[in-house]
Amino acid sequence: MSAVAANPEELMVAAAAKRLNDDEICFVGIGLPSLAAVLAKLTHAPGLTLLYESGVVDAIPPRPPLSTGDPAVISDTAYSGDCLAVFGALQAGHVDVGVLSAAQIDRHGNLNSTVIGDYSNPKVRLVGSGGAHDIATLASRLVIVMPDDPRRFVQRVDFVTSPGHPDGELRGELVGGGPAVVVTPRAIFTFEDGEMTLAAVQPGYSASDAVEGFPWQPPRVEDVMELTPPEPELLEILRHRVDPG
Amino acid sequence: MVVGKVRPLADALRDLVRNGDTVFLGGFGHAVPFAAGHELIRQGRKRLTLCRSGADILFDQMIAAGCAEKLIVGWIGNPGIGLAHGFRRALARHDVELEEWTNFTLVLRLHAAALGVPYLPTRVMGEGDVANAAGRVRHIEDPFGGGPLTAVPALAPDVAIVHAQRADPDGNVQMWGVIGDTVAGALASRRIVVTVEEVTTREIVREDPNRTIIPGYRVDAVCHEPWGAHPSYMQGFYTRDDAFYRTYDELSRTEEGLAQYLAENVIEVPDRARYTGRLRLDHLAVGGPPAPPIRYGFERP
Repeated sequence: MSAVAANPEELMVAAAAKRLNDDEICFVGIGLPSLAAVLAKLTHAPGLTLLYESGVVDAIPPRPPLSTGDPAVISDTAYSGDCLAVFGALQAGHVDVGVLSAAQIDRHGNLNSTVIGDYSNPKVRLVGSGGAHDIATLASRLVIVMPDDPRRFVQRVDFVTSPGHPDGELRGELVGGGPAVVVTPRAIFTFEDGEMTLAAVQPGYSASDAVEGFPWQPPRVEDVMELTPPEPELLEILRHRVDPG
Repeated sequence: MVVGKVRPLADALRDLVRNGDTVFLGGFGHAVPFAAGHELIRQGRKRLTLCRSGADILFDQMIAAGCAEKLIVGWIGNPGIGLAHGFRRALARHDVELEEWTNFTLVLRLHAAALGVPYLPTRVMGEGDVANAAGRVRHIEDPFGGGPLTAVPALAPDVAIVHAQRADPDGNVQMWGVIGDTVAGALASRRIVVTVEEVTTREIVREDPNRTIIPGYRVDAVCHEPWGAHPSYMQGFYTRDDAFYRTYDELSRTEEGLAQYLAENVIEVPDRARYTGRLRLDHLAVGGPPAPPIRYGFERP
């Protein structure tokens, strides 16, 4: 049993993992999304099938992969095809849930991983979409993991790499369902009528703590719940099997 | 004895890669063709358009070395570590043109070329700003009445450069581990140069033909370059030399640092044998048993 309480990143990863259900097909981004997905797989969701954009299906990486090309994604997997195979499955509607992070997010769940500032003359040029746009557009629902930096939460992202909900309305059925939930170290947000809405707070945080530093005041559901702390067994698995560092 | 398509890397690249070519570089984090990319830098290749979905620090090095005029990519960075600093400086100075896609659409563009069709339709890029950044997309209607789609144009590189575990003298390339967009990029290209860890025999290739990712008739040159993907990973041979990626991240933050890295690791090193000769590599070699053989039965002998 772990005696050490969860740190903020662990709270976020644990809460994101719980948004993934057993037996779902899950398209995973690298970094925090991969930590959350593997944690779900090793705890409550053993039937979760993890897809990585490099072509790998049903992976159980023994340590956090540095990229989707890291052979860690292939060391315990059932299938290794290519990009076309997994993006094809995504577009054909076989993926229940995508998990992503980004540099910026706005109130409609638009994500930016391309530039901070103006596109043609950016303050910071980032890495670009990779598969993020494709996952956000096509997955039946999207779980977003955002580290605890209020500067990442903006009224309108500088560049829409991965589209969220159109202003004021949920999107149609043709492509995926769009952002379903945003998990941070302080809170969980859902999307009510396409708008990021405070739904729950992490243990020990108040509703106003959860959005402190945001440049807008997100709406709240009627009863903002407080999440229960991650179980010691779950933290043990996160620290020693998901991210043995 | 050198037979068939097997030839020295420097010769093959001199013949098969021309200034101004569009070049696909294989390797999706895994199997990045560093030996070939470094040789192109030494040969002073200019005005290349470099393309692939996820581009790592080999792209950054070739940009910094002045080889690239344009990039067609879905992602560019230092995998697991951070940003591509040489690329960022070149872009800010307008030394390089950027056409950016998503990884899926970039692979679809290559696949369209491999299929010999001018474009492919997709359900992505209908929303968001990526379509504008990419430029050459068309929003179309499904001619069979299925609703809106986006058409992405075929991308047929002049030459693909791919690193793989092995090939035979006929150019049949066998690769395993993470494939990424390697097959799509190679089959889309007019010419193909392959660097390999091992030149193997026709008999070994024909024992496991499903392992062949590129058929020999498409391949122009096979170049024997052990450790040719260092410092990236090569499944079954070596793991990533993370210290190189970290050192590159630090040094490439300044123009002088990046130039120093290129001088020490590329310009002043005549070839891959001399490159690996100065490194300690034992700790990167991977172990583990071979996969159990499978049987390709035919008629009873």
